[in-house]
Amino acid sequence: MPAANPFQDPLRFERRMPECAVVIFGATGDLNQRKLMPALYRLMYERRLAPGFAIVGVSRTPLPDAEFRARMRGAVQKHLENSPFDEGIWSSFCQGLFYVPGDVHDTELFHRLAAKLDEIDKARHTGGNVLFYLSTQPSQYAPAAKGLGAAGLSRGRGWRRLIVEKPFGHDLASARALSNELQQVFPENEVYRIDHYLGKETVQNILAFRWGNGIFEPLWNRRYVNHVQITAAESIGVEGRGAYYQESGALRDMVQNHLLQVMATVAMEPSGVFEPNAVRDERAKLLRSIRILKPGEVAGNAVRGQYGPARIGGQEVPGFRQEPGVDPASTAETYAAATFFVENWRWAGVPFYIRTGKRLPKRVSEIAIQFNPAPHFVFGQNGNESMPNLLILRIQPEEGISLKFVSKQPGAGMKLRPVSMDFNYGTSFGERSPSAYETLLLDAIEGDATLFARQDMVEASWAAVTPMLEAWGNEKPDFPNYPAGAWGPARADEMLRGRGHHWRKI
Amino acid sequence: MPAAVIEPEKLLRELAELWVNLGKEEDSGSMGVLRACSMTLLTLAGAAEDAAAVDETLALLMRDHPSRAIVARVRDSAEAELDAGVRAQCWKPFGQRRHICCEQIAIAASNATLDDLPAVILPLIAPDLPVILWARAPRLFDTPARRELSRMAWKTIVDSASAADPVRALEELARESEAGLTLGDLAWTRLTRWRQLIAQIFENPEYAGLLPSVARVSICHPGAAPTVGVRYMAAWLLQSLESAGSRPEVEWRKAPDAADAGLVRIEFATADPSLLTVVIRKLEGAAVETQVNSITTRAVFSAASDYELLREELAIPRRDPVYEAALKRAARA
Repeated sequence: MPAANPFQDPLRFERRMPECAVVIFGATGDLNQRKLMPALYRLMYERRLAPGFAIVGVSRTPLPDAEFRARMRGAVQKHLENSPFDEGIWSSFCQGLFYVPGDVHDTELFHRLAAKLDEIDKARHTGGNVLFYLSTQPSQYAPAAKGLGAAGLSRGRGWRRLIVEKPFGHDLASARALSNELQQVFPENEVYRIDHYLGKETVQNILAFRWGNGIFEPLWNRRYVNHVQITAAESIGVEGRGAYYQESGALRDMVQNHLLQVMATVAMEPSGVFEPNAVRDERAKLLRSIRILKPGEVAGNAVRGQYGPARIGGQEVPGFRQEPGVDPASTAETYAAATFFVENWRWAGVPFYIRTGKRLPKRVSEIAIQFNPAPHFVFGQNGNESMPNLLILRIQPEEGISLKFVSKQPGAGMKLRPVSMDFNYGTSFGERSPSAYETLLLDAIEGDATLFARQDMVEASWAAVTPMLEAWGNEKPDFPNYPAGAWGPARADEMLRGRGHHWRKI
Repeated sequence: MPAAVIEPEKLLRELAELWVNLGKEEDSGSMGVLRACSMTLLTLAGAAEDAAAVDETLALLMRDHPSRAIVARVRDSAEAELDAGVRAQCWKPFGQRRHICCEQIAIAASNATLDDLPAVILPLIAPDLPVILWARAPRLFDTPARRELSRMAWKTIVDSASAADPVRALEELARESEAGLTLGDLAWTRLTRWRQLIAQIFENPEYAGLLPSVARVSICHPGAAPTVGVRYMAAWLLQSLESAGSRPEVEWRKAPDAADAGLVRIEFATADPSLLTVVIRKLEGAAVETQVNSITTRAVFSAASDYELLREELAIPRRDPVYEAALKRAARA
């Protein structure tokens, strides 16, 4: 039983962070430099990390510690957001920064890594706790895990955890195969599959909004909700990720993981307790309740698109097939829209429309819950139209919640107009929101898996998109079918029109 | 000569008109104003205090804790004065078209009308929301009006950092606390970052296991005698160490060249210092260095403004058992 800390003050102090070492595979890669290192530095700046905290970078490039530190310093200075770079903080941060070069297929790497971790534990008292972060190509996940297991690094004096970045496989079968390989080394409860969407403050706030208030949950069902729209739009193109993107496409890149997780967060049942497995059980249950489309239903319930060239704001914008690294005949979709149904008593018959795409008119991610109209509209004689109430949960860029309803326009007569009641996350809480990676790294260090995907969730969401992957794999699309800067292909509008709905104009 | 009468009903009507007018002003942009209120924040200030600084602090706080702010400024005068006005505190978040506004009621009073304040303020409190009293003027703390306002409030916030007689100030606060008043003291809030650094060290079970063996605590303070803040820190440290089974000797040391009134250095060690020695010391500028045996880390503690301190206190609108225990201990030390 570890000694209790008599200095803790839970009313005022941030969460407790145990001492540990974080080993980052792919340390010279883009994700580490753009996201992980700035997030860890920021946690140090905010005094959230323990004094003996250490980071070990692993990558193939041979580098001495000093050179690795210099590179990471450059990366932090370049990519740090909303914070100043402080020399004093960096000098103590980089004392805990080490580098071990090597290839994950080389067993020697893992012996050198074990020796380095022993040395760090003795010098910095990390208690033998190690968080392994696989920030590499997915093809290296299994060899890295295997190497850690063979060198005895998956077990030790303290805890050992493994963070894996998406994609978790490229279809259901490969996701299962990957999971089997990881679980031969790390038990499922020590595997943290990161989905940075779940780490966003506003996605977490959905749970607070739903389960912390008594007035919304009674309306949160098929009796009152007409349909739900989930949008994740990007105004940019593939930005140098063309090679990756043409292999994955929008369905695999966004829908299978981020957006189905968001949908599960919106639609899941409240858990009995707010504990990692209780919350994840409910999320998994919801994902398993998504109706699997029959092959003949795909065309009416899913639409794919690819952007073509266009002129936007006086500038010529290339189409996807003209992007660097992209096959000029690529059939990868840069836009995907789908209709999902949840087969349970709460949601039976309520469509969940999901759309995502590149080169759409603006960058916006939000969830719109449209309620049924008033059952009998008595104001029609004045030219008024019945307008449904909308609850908008905005994820980015202006995080917050809006409720739209109608009100009488001042003056004579009964003219109605829509008004919006807004809660703005950024302005109601002046504090800087932590980045998704800060939140998720702290959670993993603390052993809180609430916001991480579990294997059963991954499999259920692959199962939900498998009919689309199969149908689209068998048909040659007529791409491009929407110009850059438009809200996707016309067929996406038709998909909703068939049910008397239309995409919101955002 | 200002009137010595305030009609709360009239002020409430003026508030309502204010919102109507704000709506009209903004209507051309079609987005309107967003009214926000999460509490009533009463401020009891002296008229001689820096009014601009108080206004600036309240304006900043509105972003974190949108409130109905009632600011009573009391002139140190025997002449009867009682007047009030309403205004809105608005800001437009970057990149947005809509103003967010909070309401502010400013009351000018004097010593002669001080006792009239509670009856004036009571009907002005926003219904169903927490009420927090920021008793900013030390000279008004020991008055029946402040006590009456404290009874309306969920919490009373003071700042005893510059108390001329720290021991007496602590005794007085402890008496109020024991009588049931929920208190916050910005002199205590200033210690949060120091306390958090210490707590973080002992998240490591190896170090926590050595706590019963801590034999010596040294606290270095500026000035001739320990301030209220330094006394709070000593009380909290000793209480925490004692709960871990330690009975350390405490050494007070004076730092002659300290640049400000805050803590300068805290050191504690086991009887055999090679087992555990912790030194936390303020460096030049805003940096603070923590040394745990051979590991040294740095943090930045920029000077906490009234806004930052109040923001922390307003986030705890209820009793704070850790503070209350430290206050009790500091008052009897």
